[in-house]
Amino acid sequence: MSDYQYDNQTVKGFIVSSIFWGVVGIVIGLLISIQMWKPETNFAPYFTFGRLRAVHTNGLAFGLGVGAIFGLSYYIIMRLAKRPLLFPKLARFQLYLFNVGILLAAVSLLMGQTQSLEYAELEWPIDLAIVILWVMFAINVFGTIIKRKEEQMYISLWYIIATTIAVAVLYIVNNLSIPAGLTKSYHLFAGVNSANVEWWYGHNAVGFVFTTPILAMFYYFLPKSTGIPIYSHRLSIIAFWSLVFAYLWTGAHHLVYTPLPDWIQTLGIVFTIFLIAPSWGSVVNGYYTVGTDWSKMNTNYLTKFFIMGITFYGLQTVQGPTQGLRIVSQLIHYTDWVPGHVHMGTMGWVTMTTAASIYYVIPKIYHTEIYSEKVANIHFWLVLIGQLIFSITMWITGIQQGALWKATNADGSLKYTFIETLTKNYPYWQLRTVGGLIFTVGMLFFIYNIYMTIRKGSLAEAKA
Amino acid sequence: MAEDLDNIDAFEAKETSHKLPVGWLILFWGLIIWGVYYFVTYSPAISGWTQTKAYEESVKK
Amino acid sequence: MGSGIYNKPIAFALTATVVILIGTVVTMFYPMLTPEMHPKLENLKPFTALQLAGRDIYQREGCVNCHTQTVRPLKTEVLRYGEYSKAGEFAYDRPFLWGSKRTGPDLARIGGKYPDAWHYKHFEKPQGMFPQTNMPAYAFLAKNKLDPAEVEAHMKALDFPYTIEELSALGSKTDMDALVAYMQVIGTAVKKTAPVAAAGGVKEVHFPNPLADNPQAIAKGKDLYAKNCASCHGDNAKGDIGPSLVDDEFFYEKGDMPDDDYFEVTNNGTSEGYVEDGRTGKGGMPGFKDSLSKDDIWSIVAYLRSIKGK
Repeated sequence: MSDYQYDNQTVKGFIVSSIFWGVVGIVIGLLISIQMWKPETNFAPYFTFGRLRAVHTNGLAFGLGVGAIFGLSYYIIMRLAKRPLLFPKLARFQLYLFNVGILLAAVSLLMGQTQSLEYAELEWPIDLAIVILWVMFAINVFGTIIKRKEEQMYISLWYIIATTIAVAVLYIVNNLSIPAGLTKSYHLFAGVNSANVEWWYGHNAVGFVFTTPILAMFYYFLPKSTGIPIYSHRLSIIAFWSLVFAYLWTGAHHLVYTPLPDWIQTLGIVFTIFLIAPSWGSVVNGYYTVGTDWSKMNTNYLTKFFIMGITFYGLQTVQGPTQGLRIVSQLIHYTDWVPGHVHMGTMGWVTMTTAASIYYVIPKIYHTEIYSEKVANIHFWLVLIGQLIFSITMWITGIQQGALWKATNADGSLKYTFIETLTKNYPYWQLRTVGGLIFTVGMLFFIYNIYMTIRKGSLAEAKA
Repeated sequence: MAEDLDNIDAFEAKETSHKLPVGWLILFWGLIIWGVYYFVTYSPAISGWTQTKAYEESVKK
Repeated sequence: MGSGIYNKPIAFALTATVVILIGTVVTMFYPMLTPEMHPKLENLKPFTALQLAGRDIYQREGCVNCHTQTVRPLKTEVLRYGEYSKAGEFAYDRPFLWGSKRTGPDLARIGGKYPDAWHYKHFEKPQGMFPQTNMPAYAFLAKNKLDPAEVEAHMKALDFPYTIEELSALGSKTDMDALVAYMQVIGTAVKKTAPVAAAGGVKEVHFPNPLADNPQAIAKGKDLYAKNCASCHGDNAKGDIGPSLVDDEFFYEKGDMPDDDYFEVTNNGTSEGYVEDGRTGKGGMPGFKDSLSKDDIWSIVAYLRSIKGK
C-alpha cells in the first residue's frame, strides 16, 4: 500500500465516522423538534429536551463538523503540499481517539454532565481528550505543510492554518474551570465575565468550525470539480485577513441588552456588521469564478451544491450581522428566529458544501466515479427544500413571538400571557419537524450514494 | 496507481487575479464608515448613550 | 505571486495568531482586568449548600436551553418579568446562566414570585397547571436523594461558606427540594419594587366593581380565571396552593371583604407582610397589573362573585 493510500484510508475513516455521528445528531434533532410541540415525547431522565439538545448540537458540531474537517483538511493538505501526511500513524490514532471521544461525549451529556456553556458543554476530562485530539491534528497540519513540496501555499491552506490556531485558543480559554470531581466543574470566570468569555468562544466556534474550514473546502473543491480557477487572488487575500481579524471582536452581539458593559456590546455590533464585507468577498469570488462559465451548473452536478452552499453563506452573513443590531435584537433575540438562522448556516451552507466535497473525494480515493449523479440530484433537492421549510417557518414564528411578547393593551398592560405566546408556535414547530424530516430523507440518499460508491470502488480495487 | 496531485497554477485565474469588483469595494469601505458612526453614537464614553438611560427615557414617555 | 508570507508557513501562522489575538485582547482579555467586569451587589450572598445543589440540578437538566435568566432594560420586558438585570447580581454565578432562548419564560425574577408549593406542583406535572405547556415533567427529581458529600465537594470548589448542620440536613432532602430552593433565590439580591399596597393604618376607601353582575364580564372573567388563576386556586376556585376564593374568608380570616380588596390583591400581588384592608397576607400571590387590564381584573372578580357559595 502506498503512503497516499494509507492516508486516504484515514481520510475515508474520518468521513465515514463523521457521517455516522451526523446521522445520530440529525435523528436526535428530529426527536427534540417533536418534543417542542409534544411534551409526552420527553423520556426522563436521559431523554428530555434539556439533555438531548446538547447531544444534538455537540454531535453535529464535533461529530459531523469536526470529523469532516479533520478528514477533508488532511485530503486537501496532502494534495496541495504534494506529499503524504508527515505522521500517518498519528493521524490514524487520532481517528480512533476521535470516535471514542465523541462516544464518551454523547454518553456524558445524556448523564447530565454539562458545564452549561453553549457549544462547550463537555466536562473537563472530555475537554482534555479534545485538546489532545486537536494537538495531534495541529502536528500533522503544520508538519506536513512545513515539509511540503510545493513552494506556495494555496488559499485553502491559509484557512486551515487559521482554523487550527483559533480553535485551540478559543477552546482552551473558555474551558478553563475549577474541577469539583471527575464529572463536574465550575467556570473559572464568574457572572458578566463568564458570559463575555463564553460568547467570545461561542461565536467564534461558529466562525472557526462552521466558516473558515468550510471556506477551505469551498476554495479547494470548487476549482477542482469545475475546472475553473478562482477569479481573484487579491480578493481572496483581503477577504481572508479581514475575516480572521474581525471575527474575534463579535461575540458580544449574543449579549445585546444584557448587563455586559455597553462599549463591549457596541464594539461587538460594529465588527459584526463589518463581517458582511469579508464574507461577501468569498461569495462574490465564488460567483465570478463560476460566472466565467455558468453552463457548469448543468454539466457538472457538484457545481450547484457549491453555488447553493455559498449562496446560503451569503444570506447567513447578512442575516446574522443584522440580528446583532440593537433594534433588531430587541425583537428577535431569544425567539425561534435564531435557531432558524443557525440552521440555514448548518443545513444550507455547511452540510451542502461538506457533502459536495465528500462526493468529490470518495470517488477520487477509489479512482472511480460517483455511483449515481441522479441520486445526488435527489439528495440536493430534498435537503434544499427541507432546509428552506425549516428556516422560513422559524423566522415567521420568531417574529410572531417577539411581537406578541411586546404587544400591549391601550392602558399599557401586556396583551398576552406567556403561555398564549408559546402555544401560537406549535403549528410552526410541527411544520419545522416536517422540514427536518425531508432534510433527513435527503441525507439518507446521500449516505446511500456514498455507500454504493465505496462498495463499487472496493470491488474494483479487489479485482485490480 | 499514481496519486493525482495539484498544480497551484490551476487554482488561480491569471488575467483577473488582481481584480476587485467595485460593488464589493464600496461595501467594504461603506461598512467601515458606518462602523465609525455606530461606534461614536453608542459608546458611553463618547456620546454618553447607555442602555439604561435609554430605558429610563422610554419609561418616562 | 508566490512571495511574502504565503510561502512561509511559520511566519504566516504567527501573523495569523497576532491578527486573531487583537480582538481577543480588546474585547475579552482587557475587560477582565477592569472592575466593571467584577461588580457585586452589597446584599448578594453566596449560594447555600441546598441552593447550590439546586443550581447543579438546573445545569444537569439543561434548563438553560429553554429559560433565560436576564431581563433586558426594555419597557415591555420589565413589565412582563420585573426589574431589569444588574451586572452585580451574578458575582457567584459560575458559569452565568443567562441562556439564549426563551422557549419558556425568563426566570431572572422567579425568586419569591410563587410559593414553594407552586413549584413542587409545577415540576411534578406542568400540564396539570398549564394544559398546553410543552415543559417536560420533572417528577423523578422528588425520588432522588441528595448526596451531602458531593454537595460539600462542590461548595469547597467554589469556596462558599457552609456549616456541618447545613450539610447533614441535606441527607433528607431531594433533588426537587434543592431545585425549588434555587428557584426561590434567583434574582432576589435586587430589591423588589414593593407592591404599592394600602399601608396599615390608612383608612380604606371602598369602591364598587363597575362590572358587577355584567353577564359578558362574567363570561370573560371565567375564561381569564381558567388561564391565570386556576392553577393555584383550583378549577372551581375552592383553593389549592392558594386559598379558596368563594368561601367566607379573606386572608385566612373569617368574614369576606368587598370587591375592591380582591381587585387590589390581584392587581398588586402580595409578599410576606402585605396588608390589605387591615388584614395581613402570607405572601406568594403574583401581581397581575402588567399582564391584565383593569377591566380584565374586574371581570375576574365579577366571575368569582357569580360562583360564590355555589
